[in-house]
Amino acid sequence: MPNHRIKDIEIELLLLALKERWGYDFTGYARASLKRRMESLIEHSGMDCLSRLLPSVLYDVEAAQTAIDAISVPTSDFFRDPPVWRYIRHTLAEQLNSFPLINIWQVGCGHGQETYSLAILLHEIGLHKKARIVTTDINNAFLNHSKIGCWPKRNLEAWTQNYQLSGGQGDFNAYFDLDDDFLYIKDEFKTTIEFVQHNLALDNAFLETQFIICRNVLIYFGENLQKRVFEVFQESLERGGFLLLGRAESRPEDLVTIQLEEYEQTLRFYRKAIRGHYV
Amino acid sequence: MSKLLAIGFSAGGIPLTQTLLNALAPAYPLPIVVITHLPNYYDSGLIDLFNRVVALPVSMAFDKEPIHSGHVYFAPPDYHLLIERPGYFALSHDARVKAVRPSIDVFLKSAAEIYEKDLLAVILSGANSDGADGMATVKSLGGVTIVLDPLQTDFRTMPAAVLDAVDVDYVASLDDITALLQSVQES
Repeated sequence: MPNHRIKDIEIELLLLALKERWGYDFTGYARASLKRRMESLIEHSGMDCLSRLLPSVLYDVEAAQTAIDAISVPTSDFFRDPPVWRYIRHTLAEQLNSFPLINIWQVGCGHGQETYSLAILLHEIGLHKKARIVTTDINNAFLNHSKIGCWPKRNLEAWTQNYQLSGGQGDFNAYFDLDDDFLYIKDEFKTTIEFVQHNLALDNAFLETQFIICRNVLIYFGENLQKRVFEVFQESLERGGFLLLGRAESRPEDLVTIQLEEYEQTLRFYRKAIRGHYV
Repeated sequence: MSKLLAIGFSAGGIPLTQTLLNALAPAYPLPIVVITHLPNYYDSGLIDLFNRVVALPVSMAFDKEPIHSGHVYFAPPDYHLLIERPGYFALSHDARVKAVRPSIDVFLKSAAEIYEKDLLAVILSGANSDGADGMATVKSLGGVTIVLDPLQTDFRTMPAAVLDAVDVDYVASLDDITALLQSVQES
């Protein structure tokens, strides 16, 4: 048996350990990207194979957390994919404003760049008082990190450029306190956000929402888990509410029970049917 | 019998790839996956450009999309493209590899681990060494490795890096690569 197939077995063992021992269920994750993440976990651990990590993952909470972080590691930027933010700013804002209140569920908090991009945007378009942002992540460590709202400064230039391309007219730096190495989001943006641990593999809808943002989360999920997530979103969304996916993601075509219609195809905005009955 | 053809290139590879794909049109028995380094915007125009000049259908790959023979798929800009299981793509937004995303190395390794000996991989031209590690994996798992002769392009860093790293099956001119890939059609 070639080595890479032995690695596949080791991955299943590790997933079982994390699920049964620590309650983190990653078994519905797409294996191709998971395998790459496991390879970098092995590299950083200094071990030569994943199964040597198993004893510590089973008995040592810190080793388990390292593995959980490696699997759920987020990569994002402020105002990533500027055209999407420009569309929210110039077009979707009006639609959102037609709801009496706006609950926004941002899925996959990661290190918070997207969550705070949203908070900044809502502030600029004057919807911050009417809107409530709830951000969720499977990984509690990421939620705690995001509450602090602090990032290395090295990406500031790229993020400022994204902000400007997204139609931002203000001074991006003014939303942060800066020191030599880090930028810290100003407190006024933190108070508008609720940070909630939520596991899309197990937990249900917990909030009636008018807008769900779930970008580049589904790509890490296998097809069955993806279908479950769409059912959760459908349940959570009010009729006429919006769903935003990542640029290379789409709703599974064979999901006939999901009444989410394409709203803006290129940018991946969907809308829950305003009328119609559930099957 | 091969089940998937992967083509990787960077600088200088667009006209080469167009010539190659045109020679394989109008019908090809394998899916063709092209991994190249595109700018980070939706409408790089490359898909339209290829659809205008190539008779095979060309599109951007989507997450978990089923892979069809005779179709040309491009890795979407700013995502790594992977094979989830035989016949299905997957994407990831994980860190750049050798400063690029999509990475030719990432795709070739993933595809090689799924298709093993049934993968046909071609590296054309480019100004970095992306692809060399991936080709090593393709070779070690029994796939067929083909590299454009570095003397045939101004952007020889990429094919030369592959030749340094891997004892490839074929180093060939574009005409010979075309003939090799056409022979799949007949076999």
